[in-house]
Amino acid sequence: MSQSKIRVALAGNPNAGKTTLFNALTGAHQKVGNYPGVTVEKREGNRIRGDREYHFIDLPGIYSLTAYSIDEVVTRDFLLDEKPDVIVDVMDSTNLERHLYLCLQFQELGIPVIGALNMSDEAEAKGIRINDRALESVLGVPMVKTVGPKGTGVDGLLDKIDAILVGEAYEPNRFIRYGDEIESKLSILQNLIQQDSSFCQCFPSRWLAVKLLEKDANAYERLRQHSNAGVIEGAAREAVLWLEKHYGKDAEIVVSEQRYGYIHGAVKEVIQIVKKPDFSLTESIDRVIMHPFFALPIFVVVLWAIFQLTFVVGEYPMRWLELFFNFLSIQFSSLLPAGILRSLVVDGIIGGVGGVLSFVPLIIFLFFFLSLLEDVGYMSRAAFATDKFLHAFGLHGQSIFPMMLGFGCSVPAIMAARTLKSRRDRILTILIIPFMSCGAKLPVYVLLSSAFFPHHAALMVMLVYAVGVVAGLLSAVLLRNTILRGDPTPFVMELPPYRMPTLQGILWHVWEKSWSYVKKAGTVILAASLIVWFITQVPVYTPLPQELSTLTASYKSAHPNATEAELASYLDQVRAAAAVEYSFAGRLGKAVEPVFKPLGVDWHFAVATIAGFAAKELVVSTLGILYRVGTEGGDKNESLRDALRSDPLFNPLVALVMMLFILAIPPCMATLSTIKAELGWGWMGFSFVFMLSFGWILAFLVHLFGSLGF
Amino acid sequence: MYLSDAPNGASFRVIKVVLGKEVGKRLADMGFTEGVEGVVIRGGVFRGPMQVRIRGYDLLIRRSEAAGIEVTPVGDWRPVAHHLGRPWGGRRGRGWGRFFHGLRVDV
Repeated sequence: MSQSKIRVALAGNPNAGKTTLFNALTGAHQKVGNYPGVTVEKREGNRIRGDREYHFIDLPGIYSLTAYSIDEVVTRDFLLDEKPDVIVDVMDSTNLERHLYLCLQFQELGIPVIGALNMSDEAEAKGIRINDRALESVLGVPMVKTVGPKGTGVDGLLDKIDAILVGEAYEPNRFIRYGDEIESKLSILQNLIQQDSSFCQCFPSRWLAVKLLEKDANAYERLRQHSNAGVIEGAAREAVLWLEKHYGKDAEIVVSEQRYGYIHGAVKEVIQIVKKPDFSLTESIDRVIMHPFFALPIFVVVLWAIFQLTFVVGEYPMRWLELFFNFLSIQFSSLLPAGILRSLVVDGIIGGVGGVLSFVPLIIFLFFFLSLLEDVGYMSRAAFATDKFLHAFGLHGQSIFPMMLGFGCSVPAIMAARTLKSRRDRILTILIIPFMSCGAKLPVYVLLSSAFFPHHAALMVMLVYAVGVVAGLLSAVLLRNTILRGDPTPFVMELPPYRMPTLQGILWHVWEKSWSYVKKAGTVILAASLIVWFITQVPVYTPLPQELSTLTASYKSAHPNATEAELASYLDQVRAAAAVEYSFAGRLGKAVEPVFKPLGVDWHFAVATIAGFAAKELVVSTLGILYRVGTEGGDKNESLRDALRSDPLFNPLVALVMMLFILAIPPCMATLSTIKAELGWGWMGFSFVFMLSFGWILAFLVHLFGSLGF
Repeated sequence: MYLSDAPNGASFRVIKVVLGKEVGKRLADMGFTEGVEGVVIRGGVFRGPMQVRIRGYDLLIRRSEAAGIEVTPVGDWRPVAHHLGRPWGGRRGRGWGRFFHGLRVDV
């Protein structure tokens, strides 16, 4: 035990106010990272008191040490492998019986445990009187009453940690008693385990013996390092069989029941409930929020409100950022001479960084509202409302938020999928988010439908959106039955009472999420936009003098009254179109033309699609350049519509096919890099290939059957 | 009888968790052990998830998981459900009230 730095793990059930207490303990001295290999956030912070430095690690909230979700794996592995000096178990005083269940499992780890009886003011108000001294002596775990938001009990906790360090207040061999039958089996196993003393240095024998009886797969795996593993495993299996025969139920259930039984007895002695439990406030809100028929409409309204607030309010700071980057562009344009360097700085770097940062306001607003809903306790209510519907498609009730946010922008939507606890559900949700047409795809739909379906433009756009939703849900079913197969994630979750959120806690969430976005996605998006810039600009096209003179001559003969300015703008448009065609992107577009041919379009659209990887908005402007009508005006550009309409290749069917293709083709660079940040390269690659093949097949089939029908 | 059959407002006592493997263990960890008493607060439409109160806290559980918990009714299940059919605490709902079934829960 290092004298200078004491490592304290903060653990406990979800909804026990752990993060608030962590903030109270560490103040602003925190850093947020990830546990190796997983995207579970790891928060660490320091506190100095006197000559001691306390290093706090905030572990994810869990229900049991039998690892089940990724959070539980992380917590268990941290406690077993990193061996903190002290565990502070944060418990909800209003619901002590269930929270002690975890506390007593920590006790078996052989690491000193301190129980933080958190939310003690709330318990007091509810008429729950806890005799902490008596609880301490019954269980052998030091207890401190705390109130996270007020910082009450922080010094008491530090005092207890100090006491443990000098060897007081910790009884190493105090454990819960499981009853004579189980205890006799445990002592046989413990004796066997203790024969290998170097093994016991790593793994507490009591914990391992209990977990072996609970048939914990990970415990059996760890047992293999024991020199006498075979014998112990045999003895454990024999004990399990005996217990199951004796009790007539699964051994792991027997252990849980004994543990709850022990706690129930202890709690009865030391907790006095002077009032009948009062669920009235939460209950009266829930009567409306969770009403069988209103729950879903209310959820839709909440979602709509968040959507509006995020994308409408967030648009102002986004516009300010755009103005700022425009200003920068103008400044640099006037500083640098025209040419490749100016283009690199202005279009590549400033454009790229601007693209990254323009998402930040959205992420800040979005996570502000999401954290608010989460801290208030609405998230599990939303899952209640939507689970039935989503479960039919193999999704989880909690997938609904990320999916809906996908209509605004896939980047924050994919990050919002972190609320899903099971990795498989999270992967599935992230993979189908790009099917929800994001805001940037809308201009493409508007352009194509207003050009080719002038009388039903809005209807066509809605149709494409609907196709996206259906495609997303069908892909969920498809993926669920192929690569993401497995038992459906059980839907057993706590429904916490409504709580007043703290502003500090919410701001912390927002800060963490936004900063991790800027750090992670920022680097990748910037690199990606530089690549796209590069392939659309290089090699540089310079028209030969002969070409220019032929063009000038033919333009003059066609338009005898043309002014010099008209001629110059004509030449600019031709030059821009030729530059794109001449660049790597243009050549690439021509090279992949065979892929686009079966869909009824040529390389123009291929180039626009490639440019669309940087951002979907670029599809329209690139088409504008290629059809020589300029980029001004975007989707409202009448001349681009005319140009598309006069292209013999295009007809309403092709327009529809292209909309469907744009809907489903791989998402933009920002989205892909967010997927990479959340799930890694493998899943990003899969998402890319999956969306591409799905989009192509869909577009091909529609084109095929459409042409047959014409 | 299984928890999934319990109507809104019904009290029950757990006999045992019959689901095996991880889910069964999880249910036991969450507090569904022999002899524990609880109340069904409400169920979602179309047999959506149920809200159940045990050990002084509320949890949501899908019907398919609730079907793995064997329970015995405490008190009479049916009259409780009937009583809940009277929305807004008023008289028996014939009109619109029928659609608000479950809006009120007496705990």
